[in-house]
Amino acid sequence: MNSIRTFTGQFGRGLVASAALLAMLTIASTARAEDEIVIGTSIPLSGPLAGFGLYQKWGYETAVKDLNKAGGILIDGKKLPVRLVVRDDKTDPNVTASNTESLLSRDKVVAMLGSCTPALVNAGALVAERRKVPLVTGCNPLHAFKSVRKWQYAWSIFFDEPELSSAPFRMIAELGLNTNKKIAILADNGPDGVVVGGKLWPDAAKAGGFEVVQNTSFPVDTQQFTAMVGQAKSSGADIVLVDAIPPQAIAMRKQMASAAFTPKIIVMEKGAEPEFFAQATGKLADGVLVGGYWDPSFPYPGAAELAKRFESETKQSQSQHIADSHAAAQVLLDAIAAAGSLDREKINAAIARTNKSYVIGPVKFDAGNASAIPITVMQWQGGKSVVVWPKDRANGKLIFPLGEPK
Amino acid sequence: MANFDVIVSSLASGFLLGGILALIALGLSVALGVMRLVNLAHGELLVCGAYLSSFLMAAVGLDPLAGLLVVGMAAALLALPLQRLLIAPLVSKGMEPPMMTMFGLSIIAQNLLLLGFSADTRTLEAPYSSRPVSIGPITVPEVYLIGFVISVVIVAAVHFLVAHTAFGRALRASSADPAAAAVMGVDVRKVHALTFALGAACAAMGGVLIGTAFSFTPSTGGSYLLISFAIVVLGGVGNIFGTLLAGIAMGLLQSIGAVVLGDGYRDLVGLVLFLLVLALRPEGIAKLGKA
Repeated sequence: MNSIRTFTGQFGRGLVASAALLAMLTIASTARAEDEIVIGTSIPLSGPLAGFGLYQKWGYETAVKDLNKAGGILIDGKKLPVRLVVRDDKTDPNVTASNTESLLSRDKVVAMLGSCTPALVNAGALVAERRKVPLVTGCNPLHAFKSVRKWQYAWSIFFDEPELSSAPFRMIAELGLNTNKKIAILADNGPDGVVVGGKLWPDAAKAGGFEVVQNTSFPVDTQQFTAMVGQAKSSGADIVLVDAIPPQAIAMRKQMASAAFTPKIIVMEKGAEPEFFAQATGKLADGVLVGGYWDPSFPYPGAAELAKRFESETKQSQSQHIADSHAAAQVLLDAIAAAGSLDREKINAAIARTNKSYVIGPVKFDAGNASAIPITVMQWQGGKSVVVWPKDRANGKLIFPLGEPK
Repeated sequence: MANFDVIVSSLASGFLLGGILALIALGLSVALGVMRLVNLAHGELLVCGAYLSSFLMAAVGLDPLAGLLVVGMAAALLALPLQRLLIAPLVSKGMEPPMMTMFGLSIIAQNLLLLGFSADTRTLEAPYSSRPVSIGPITVPEVYLIGFVISVVIVAAVHFLVAHTAFGRALRASSADPAAAAVMGVDVRKVHALTFALGAACAAMGGVLIGTAFSFTPSTGGSYLLISFAIVVLGGVGNIFGTLLAGIAMGLLQSIGAVVLGDGYRDLVGLVLFLLVLALRPEGIAKLGKA
C-alpha cells in the first residue's frame, strides 16, 4: 500500500512538474512568436531530388534575408523579422507530410513554402490545407497540382504541363527540323511522369502528326534501361522524350550512348535540369533538351542580379529553381506584409490578390490557385544551359541533329 | 514483343552485368559465411568505393579501372579498424547486435557521404563508360564487358585465396567451427578481421564498376544490398563460385524480366526468385567450392 502511495505521490509530483514545464514552454513560445514571424518549409536536401532542394533553400533563404535586412514586416505597428525554418524531407512524401505537421504544431509557423515535384509538394500541401495554413510553392507543375483537389490555401507558381509537353513539337515545327517523326517515350511512373508520358506527350504527338513508336513507363528508382533503350533504338525513333529524375536520366543517357543509340533529338524533362546532370554526363549532355521557364537574360526585375548573386555566393552555375523559389517566398512575404497581420485567413486572402511582376515574371493566380510561367526550351551546350526556343527569348543556337558525342 | 537484336543484346548485357553483381555479392557472402555477419552496411561500402574513385579522379586524374586496386585496398584498410572496434566486441552476443551495429553504421556512412560529397548524383566518367561493343546483332556496353572480366578475375583470385593458401585454410576452419579452429591455433579474431576487410574490398571494387556503368548518390547502396542478398541466397552462403553463378543467373533472369515485362520489373523478378529459393532450396542452387 505504501509503495502505491509513494508511486502515486511521485506520479502526481511528476505531473505537476510536467504541467509547469509545458506552461513555461508555451509562454516562451508565445513570447518568441510575438518577436518574429515564423514561416517553414520542408524541401529535399537529401535523396534523389536533393539537387533541386539546394536551389530552393538558397532562393527561400535569400528572399527572407533580404527582407530582414530591409527591416522586416510591419505587423500591428511593429516591424518584425522573419525566421524561416527549413527541414529536409529526404525526397520522401511521407517525410514531407510529417515535417509539415511538425512545422505547424511544434514551430507554430504562420505559413509555408513548398517542396519540389508533385509527389512532395502535394504531400505537404494536403497537410497545410487541412490545417488551413497558406502554402506558396514553385516547382510543382500546375496540371498535377490542380488535379489533386480544389485548393483553398495552397498556391502554385510554375509551368503548365500541357504547354511543356507541346513545346518540343512546337519547336520542331517552328524551326523546321527534319526528322522521321517517330517518337519513343520513356517516362517514370511518378505523378507527373504518368501525366506527361502517358497522356500529354502522346496527345501532342498525335496533334502534330508524329507517330509514337514506343511508350514505356518505369518505376522511379530503376537504374538499368538496357531493354527499353534497345527497343527505342530498334524502333528507329529520331526523337526520344524522357521524363525521369536526375539519377535515372544520367544512367539512361549513358546507356543510350553505350547502346550506340543516337536519335536526332533527346528531351529529358526533370532529370536534365540540374547542373550536375551536365557535370555527371560530360559531353553526353551536349544537345540534350529540357523544358525551361527562366533564364537570367529574361526581362524580369532582378533576374540577372539574382543569378550573379547565386553564382558568386555558391560558386555554382545558376538554375531556374532559384527564381521560382525566390518568387514563391517573395509572394508569401508580400502577402504577410499586405495582410499586416499574422492571421492566416488574412494572409491567404492577400496571396489571392497577388498581381505583380517578380523575378520569375508576372504572378497572378487563377481560380485554381495557379499562376503559369511561360515555357521555353533549354539545351545543354558545353556544360551551360542555353535557351534555344522560342526565338524571341533564345540566347543560343540549337544543336541539331544531336549526333554522336565527340 | 521486342525484336531479336534487342533480346540477344539484353540477355548478353544481363549476363555481363551479372558478373559485376556477383563481385558485389561476394563480399556479403564471405562475411555471412565466415563471420555470420549480416552486413547491412555492405551497400554503403559499395558507394564509398564509388566516391573514393570519384575523389581520386578529381584529385589526381586516376582512371576508375586503374585505381580499382587502390580503392579495394583503401576499403580493406578502412574496414579493419571498423571490424576491431565495432564488430569484434559483439561476436559473443549473437547475430543481432552486430547486424544492428552495421545498420547504424550504414546510416552514419550515408550522412557522412552527404556532408562530404553533397546529395548530387554522380557517375564515374571514362571513355569506356558509355561506349558500345558490337558483335553481329549483339550490342553491349563496353563497361559491362570490362566489369565482367574484372569480376571473374577477382572471384577466381578469392577462390584461390580460400582454397589454396594458409589464410584460406584458417578461414574455412573458422567458418566451419570457430571454437574448434581456435583450439587448433587459428586466430579466429584475425581471420574475421581479414574476412571483413576482404568483403569491404570486393564491395568497394564492385562500387567502382557500378559507378562507371550507372550513377550513384549517398543513398544508392540500399538497392544493391537487396539484390546482393538475393544472389547470396541463390548461390549459397559463403559459396564463392556459387555466388558467381548466382550473379550471372540473376543478371540473365532480370534481363528476361526486362524484355518480357519492361525494365522496371528487373528487381521484381530478382526478388521473387530470392523468395522462391529461400522457400524451396535455402542452401542455394550451387554446391561448388564452398568457403
